[in-house]
Amino acid sequence: MKLLFKKTLILFFLILFIGCSDKSKDKIHEEDQLKLNLIESHVEKSKDRSRSKKERKGELIKAYGIVSTLPNSKNKIEGLHAISIVYYSLKDYGKFKYLNLKALDLSKQISDSIKIAKSNGFLGIYYRNKELDSAYKSFKEADKIYLSLDNNLGVDKTEYAYDHGKILLDLAKLSRKVKNYTESEELTVRAIKKFEIAQDETESFLPLSYSNLGTVAKYLGRYDDAVNYHKKSIEYAKNTNKEVRYAIIGNNNIGTVYKSQNRYEDAKKYYNKGLSYKEFLKKRPKRYTLLLDNLAYAKFLSGDNSEKVLDLFYEALRKRDSVNDLVGIATNTLHLAEYYKSVNNDSLAKFFANRAKNTALEVNNNEELLRSYQLLSEISESKVGLDYAKNYIKLNDSLVKEERLFRDKFARIEFETDEMKAENLQISKENQILIIAILGLTALFLLGYIIFRQQQSNKELLFAQTQQEANQEIYRLLLNQQIKLEEGRQLEQHRMSEELHDGVLGRLFGVRLSLDGINQRANDGFTEARNKYIDELKSIEKEIRLISHDLGTEAIPSDVAYIDAVESLISDLCEVNNLHFEFSNDEDIDWEHIDDQKKVNLFRILQESLQNIFKHANAESIKINFDYIEDKINLTILDDGIGFKSNKVKKGIGLKNITSRVSQMSGVVQFLSNNNAGTVVSVSVPV
Amino acid sequence: MIDDHPMIIEGYKNTLLGENQKEYQIKIDIASNCDDAYDNIVKSSESTPYDMLFVDIKLPPSSDGKITSGEDLAKHAKEMLPKAKVIILTMHREDHRIHNILKNINPAGFLIKSDLTSSELLLAFNNIVKGKAYYSATVNDHFRKMMTNKFSLDEKNLKILYHLSRGVKTKNLPNYVSLSLSAIEKRKNQIKEMFSIAKADDQKLLEEARKRGFI
Repeated sequence: MKLLFKKTLILFFLILFIGCSDKSKDKIHEEDQLKLNLIESHVEKSKDRSRSKKERKGELIKAYGIVSTLPNSKNKIEGLHAISIVYYSLKDYGKFKYLNLKALDLSKQISDSIKIAKSNGFLGIYYRNKELDSAYKSFKEADKIYLSLDNNLGVDKTEYAYDHGKILLDLAKLSRKVKNYTESEELTVRAIKKFEIAQDETESFLPLSYSNLGTVAKYLGRYDDAVNYHKKSIEYAKNTNKEVRYAIIGNNNIGTVYKSQNRYEDAKKYYNKGLSYKEFLKKRPKRYTLLLDNLAYAKFLSGDNSEKVLDLFYEALRKRDSVNDLVGIATNTLHLAEYYKSVNNDSLAKFFANRAKNTALEVNNNEELLRSYQLLSEISESKVGLDYAKNYIKLNDSLVKEERLFRDKFARIEFETDEMKAENLQISKENQILIIAILGLTALFLLGYIIFRQQQSNKELLFAQTQQEANQEIYRLLLNQQIKLEEGRQLEQHRMSEELHDGVLGRLFGVRLSLDGINQRANDGFTEARNKYIDELKSIEKEIRLISHDLGTEAIPSDVAYIDAVESLISDLCEVNNLHFEFSNDEDIDWEHIDDQKKVNLFRILQESLQNIFKHANAESIKINFDYIEDKINLTILDDGIGFKSNKVKKGIGLKNITSRVSQMSGVVQFLSNNNAGTVVSVSVPV
Repeated sequence: MIDDHPMIIEGYKNTLLGENQKEYQIKIDIASNCDDAYDNIVKSSESTPYDMLFVDIKLPPSSDGKITSGEDLAKHAKEMLPKAKVIILTMHREDHRIHNILKNINPAGFLIKSDLTSSELLLAFNNIVKGKAYYSATVNDHFRKMMTNKFSLDEKNLKILYHLSRGVKTKNLPNYVSLSLSAIEKRKNQIKEMFSIAKADDQKLLEEARKRGFI
C-alpha cells in the first residue's frame, strides 16, 4: 500500500516536471517567435520607400539589435540576410558586406551548407563590381557547395536551385566580362537548368539568362543563335512585370546582332521595335537614348548621312546630357565623331572624339576609350595621331593583359578550390591512415601485451609444475634411498640367514653327527654325558635355524619406508638441536596408497614446523603424531616452548608455506599458542 | 654320498662305519657338487651300480645349469640306477618342500637333518637295506597332516601359502610363484573356500593354514 502510494507520488512529480519543462521550452520558442516577428516588421518598415533613408536605416539598426540577441541558428542568419539585402538596396555596401561576412561566419559555426553558400553568394554580389577575382572566388565557393549538395541524395534540390542559378548567372557574367565566352555560355546553360527546376522564384531570371546567352553567342560569332536567344529572352519575359523591359532590351540586342552582321535594315527594324514602347521609355531616358543612338548609328552605317540622322544623334546626346548618362555620352559622342569624320568635318570629329575619350576615361569604359583613341589617331595630324596610335596600342595591350590576368586568376581560383578539395581529401586520407595505423599499433601492442602476459603466466605455471615435479622427485629419491637402505639390509639379512642355514648349520650338524657316531661306539662310561652335550648341540642348531628363519622371512614393507624417512628426519634434527622427542604413527594409515605429493607436503610441513620450533620456540621436548581419524590424516606437532600470541604474529614465510601446502591438499591447518604455553600445529588432510 | 659340506659326509661316515656295522661291506664315493655327483652316477651305471645314494637337496648346481639341486640329481639317478635306494637328507623342513620331494622322487629314505641323530641314521640305513622305507618324524608328521585333511593342496597353492606366511604381499607373489596375479587371487579364494573361511582376510587364512598344517 505504502509502496503504491510512493510510486504514484513519484509518477505525479515526474509528470509535473515534464509539464514544466515543456512549458519552458514553449516559452523560449514563443520568445524567439516574437523576436522574429519584430525583426520582420522592422525589415518591412525599412523597405518602405516612402520613408526617409535615415528612418529606414533606423529600422534596420533596430532589426539588427534584435537579431543580435538571437541564439546562433538558421533564423538568425536569415535575419542577417534580410537586413543586408535592404542595406544593399540602400546602397550601404559596407554594411551589406559586414552583415554577410558575419552570416558566413555564423553559418560555418552551425555548418549549415545552404546558408554558407548563400552568404558566399551575397559576398560575391558585393565584390562583383569592385574586385572581380574576389567575386569570382565567393561565387565559385557557393557553386561548389551547391554542387556537393547536388551529389547528396538526401537534400531537396529544388530548395536551392534558384539561388544556385543566380550564382551561376553571376559567374557567367563575370566570365563574359573577361571575355571567356565559352565558359560564360556553359555557366549560363547550367543556370538555366537550375532556374527551370526552381519552384519558388520571386523573380524569373530566365529572360536575363537567355539575354546573356545571346550576348555571348554574338561575341562568339554565332549570330543566328544570338538572335534566337534574345527572342527567347523576350518570350520568357512575357506575362511578367518585366515583359516590356525585356522586350526593349531584347530588340535592342537583336538590332545590335544584326548591326554586327552589317544587316542594317534588320537592325533598324528591331531598334524601331524597341522604340515602339513609348510609354515605358518616357520614364527611362537611358534606355530610350540607347535605342535612339543605336538606331541613328545603324542608319549612319547603312550610308545615311542625312541631317535626320544627325538630329537623332543630337536628340540622344541632349537627353543623355540632361540625365548625365556618362556611359551613353561616351558612346554617343564617339558615334558623332565617326559621323563628322565621314563627312570630313575633322575639327568637329576631333572635338567629339576628345569628349568621348574624356568621358570614357571618367567612367572607365575601356572599350569606348579604345575606339576613341583609334578614331583620334586617324583624324589627327601625323605626330599627334602617332601618339594616339601608341596610346591605342598600349591600352589595347593592357586590356588584353588585364583580361588574360583575370582569366588566369579565375583559373587559379578554380584550381585552388579544386586543390583544396583534393588536399582535404588527401588530409582525410592521411588522417584515416594515421587512425588505422594508431589502431593497428594499439591492437598490436595489446596483442603483444596479452602474449607477454600469457607467456608469463605460462612460465609461472611451468615453474609451479617443475617445482611440484622437483618435490616429487625429492620425495622419490628420499624414498628410494630409504628403500635401497632397506633392501641392502634385507639382502644382508638374507645372506646371513643362508649362511647360517646352509653353512654354519650344516657344519654343526656334521660335527654333531660325527660326535654322535663316535660316541655310540665308545665305551668309557662318559657316553651319557657326551649325549647330553650332543643334545645341547642339537638345540643350538635349532636355535640357529630359528634365527636364520627369522632373518630370512622379513619381507620389505614398503610403506614403512616413508615413516622411516619421517622418523629419521625427526631424530636427526632433534639430535642436532638437543631436543627430546616422541613420535607415533597410526598403523591404520596406509602410507603406500597415499599419493606422493601429499607425503612430500606432510614431510615438508613437518620439516618447516621443526625449523620454527628450533629457531623460535626454545622448547625442550616435542611430540609428533600421525593419526587416522575418519578418512583424514591428522598431523599434530606439539612443543613445550615459549609459544606466541597467535593473533599478533605476522605470518612469516614459514607459516605461509605451511598454509599454502595444506590448502593445496584441500586440508585444514590450525596454529594454537599462548605465551609460555607451547604451540600446537595441527594439520588435517583428507586421504 | 652327495653333500657340499665335507663335515657332514664325515658325520655320515663316522656313523655308518662304526664298530657295530661289521655285517656290511661299505664302499663310499663322495661328491660335493652336482657335476661330480652326476659323473659318478653315470660311471657307476656303466660298471657297478650304486646300491644306495645319500642326496642333499641344496647343492652347487651343475656347470651346464641343467641340474640345480639334489632333487634333479635324484630324478636322474632313479632313471640311470633304477635299483639304487635314494635317501634324501636335507635341512629343509617346510611342508611344501617335503611334499614336493615325496611326490617327485618318492625316495626310499627321507631324513630331516635337524632331527637326525646317528642312531636314527643307523636305524634308517638298516631299514632301507632290508627294503623298508624310512622317513623322519617330521616327514611322517607331514604325512599324517595330509591324511587328516580331507583334501590336499597342490604344490602351487602350498607355495602361495608359504610365501604369504613369509610376509610377501599378494601383489608381489607373481615374482615367487609362476602365476599371474589374477590367478593367484583366484587360488587364494579357492583355498579360503576350502577352509570354509570365505571372505576372510589374509591374516585369517594364514592362521587357518597353520592350524591345518599347510605351513
